[in-house]
Amino acid sequence: MKTNKYHPSGPGLIGSQIFKAWPCGDRYTMSVWVAMTISFLLLLTSVICYPTSATAAGYGLSIYPPLLRVHIKPGKTITQVFKIDNLINENKFFIARLVPFTDADLFGNPILNLKSTASWLTYFSLTNSSIKLGEPFTIKANSSEQLILSLTVPENASLKDLYVTLLVSTYSNTGGLGYQGTQVSATTGSNLLITIASEAYPPTLLRVENITPTSGWLFKFGSWYLADSITSVSFTAQVINRGDFAAETKGIFKVAGQKAEPVYLEGVLPVNVLAKTKRALQNNHGENFVFTPNLGNIGPHRVTISIKTDNANAENSLTVIFLPLKVSFGLALAGLFLIVIYQTTKSKKETCIL
Amino acid sequence: MSSTQTISNTIFILFFIFAPVALADTLDSASFEVKMSTINITGGNKSSSSYKLTDTVGQTIQGQFDSAGYIIKAGFQYIYPLTAFTFTISDLDLDFGSLITGTPSLLTNILTVTTGSAFGYTVKTIEDHSLRLISGSTTIPDTSCDLALPCTQTDATPWTVDTRYGFGYNIQGTDVDVADFVDNTYFRSFPIQDVDQPATVMSRAGVATDSAATVTYKVNVSGSQAAGIYQNNLQYIATPSF
Repeated sequence: MKTNKYHPSGPGLIGSQIFKAWPCGDRYTMSVWVAMTISFLLLLTSVICYPTSATAAGYGLSIYPPLLRVHIKPGKTITQVFKIDNLINENKFFIARLVPFTDADLFGNPILNLKSTASWLTYFSLTNSSIKLGEPFTIKANSSEQLILSLTVPENASLKDLYVTLLVSTYSNTGGLGYQGTQVSATTGSNLLITIASEAYPPTLLRVENITPTSGWLFKFGSWYLADSITSVSFTAQVINRGDFAAETKGIFKVAGQKAEPVYLEGVLPVNVLAKTKRALQNNHGENFVFTPNLGNIGPHRVTISIKTDNANAENSLTVIFLPLKVSFGLALAGLFLIVIYQTTKSKKETCIL
Repeated sequence: MSSTQTISNTIFILFFIFAPVALADTLDSASFEVKMSTINITGGNKSSSSYKLTDTVGQTIQGQFDSAGYIIKAGFQYIYPLTAFTFTISDLDLDFGSLITGTPSLLTNILTVTTGSAFGYTVKTIEDHSLRLISGSTTIPDTSCDLALPCTQTDATPWTVDTRYGFGYNIQGTDVDVADFVDNTYFRSFPIQDVDQPATVMSRAGVATDSAATVTYKVNVSGSQAAGIYQNNLQYIATPSF
C-alpha cells in the first residue's frame, strides 16, 4: 500500500494525484499556493460581510463645569449653562435630576442619597425648551447638549446654604433585558454649592484642628513631639466649619524655627468646606504636608497652619523638637561596637600574657 | 517727518485695521436665549521673574455682589485646562448567558474617569436588587465569598471555592482601594438600593487623567437554583469633589 506522510493511514491516491497535477511537483510551493488562495477567500469574505459595528454598548459622558459656587441674594436669578457631551458612537437617552445633600466626606465628596429631596429644589429649573428635569432626552452620537439651569431665589428665602448635585444618568425605557445578567446604568454629576445671603461673604467660623505628624522618626511627649532632624515628617490636619455657610480653605502651612523665622512654607489647597462639616487639609498637590529638615534644623520648631477666609482667620499649631536622633543612635551604636572590640582585644592580650 | 515717525504711524494704523474684534456674546437659538451665560476666555499660569499668577478669566466673577446680587465661580480656579469631568464605561450589557452549576461565570468592563477641572472624584455603585428571576421572586443571592473569611459590601475577601454561590465583583486598576481588593480573587457583594448606601469603588483626592479600573463580575449558582432568566440593574455614580 502506498502512503504518504500527510495521509499515513490512507492509500495515498488522492495525495499522489494532487502532487502529480501540480506543475512544479513541489509540495512546499503547492502549500503556499493553497494558503494564499484561502487567505484571499477569507479576505474577500471579510470585505463582503464587513460588520457595521462590533463594539459593545458602552457609555461615555462629560459634564462642564464640575463645580458651581454661587453667592446670591434673595430675590435674584442666575443662569448657568452645563455642557453635556455624549462621547460614544450611538445616540443615547439621558435624564437629568437634582439631588440635594448636606454632608460630605473629608475629601469633599458629597454623600448622596438618591431618594432625598428638599422643598428648595423648586428654586431650580431648566430653561431649555425641550429638556426638563426628570424627563428623558436624547443626545446624538458624539454630540453635545446644553442644560441651561436657572436658579431663582425668592425674596423670602432663608439665608442659608443649599448643596445639590446635578446628576445626568443613562435612561432606558425597555421593559426587560434580552439576556440573563446585569444591565449597567451610569450617572455623572456636577456639584452646586449655593450660598443665599444678603452679603457677599457671610460670616464663617473655621477651626484648624488635629495637626498630627504621621510619619517619620517620632516620639510623643505630652503635647510635644520629638523628631529626627534628617528625616522627612508628614503632617495631616483637618478644618472644621462651625458656621452656617460654606468657606474656602486658603492658607499656608508653615514651619518656624527658634526665632519664629519661617524655615518652610507651603500653600494649603483651596477647597470648599460645607457648613457644619470637617474637611482634610492638604497641600497644593492634594497630599499631606511634608517637611524635610536639614542638619541645621535642631531644636523646637513651631508647625502652623493658617487659614484665611474673606472675613475671618483660623490658625492652629504644634511644637516639634528636631534632634539628631538617627545620628546619635548611630554614634552610640558605633561607640558600643568599638568598646566591645576594645574589651575583646584587651582580654585576648591579657590571656596571652598569662 | 522722520523715518522713525513714519514707521510708528504705520504700525499705529495697522494696529487699528487688524486689531481683533472684541465681542460680547449672547447665546440664543430658536429654543432659548441666555443673557448671562458662562463663557471661557482664558485661564492658567502667568509668571515672570517677579510674579506668579493663577487665574481663570471670564470664568469666575460675573457680577459684583452688591450691584448684581450674585457671584458665580465655575470650576476650580487652580486646575487647568478648563475641561469637563468625564466618566466612561466600556460595556453596559453584562450578558452571562447560560449559567452552569458550580462553574463560575465571569464578565468584565472598564470604568474610566478624567477629572478635568475638578480636584478629585469618587465612583460609587449600587444595584436595584439581587439577580432575580424575571417571572418570580427567586434570587441568586449576593455573595458572601469563601466561608473562611466572609466578604461584605465594603470589605473584599477571597472567593475561590466553587461551592460558594452568589453574585459579586472584583475591581483592579487605578484609584482602586488595593488594600481591600488585594488581588483578583478578592470580591465584594453589591449594596442594594433603598437598603444600603452606595459603595465606593474608585476615588482620588487630586487630578485624574484617564484613571481606569477593570471590574470583574462573578456569578456562581448551585444545583438547587431554580431555572430561568435572572436579571438586575447596576448603577455607577461618578461625582467630582468640590
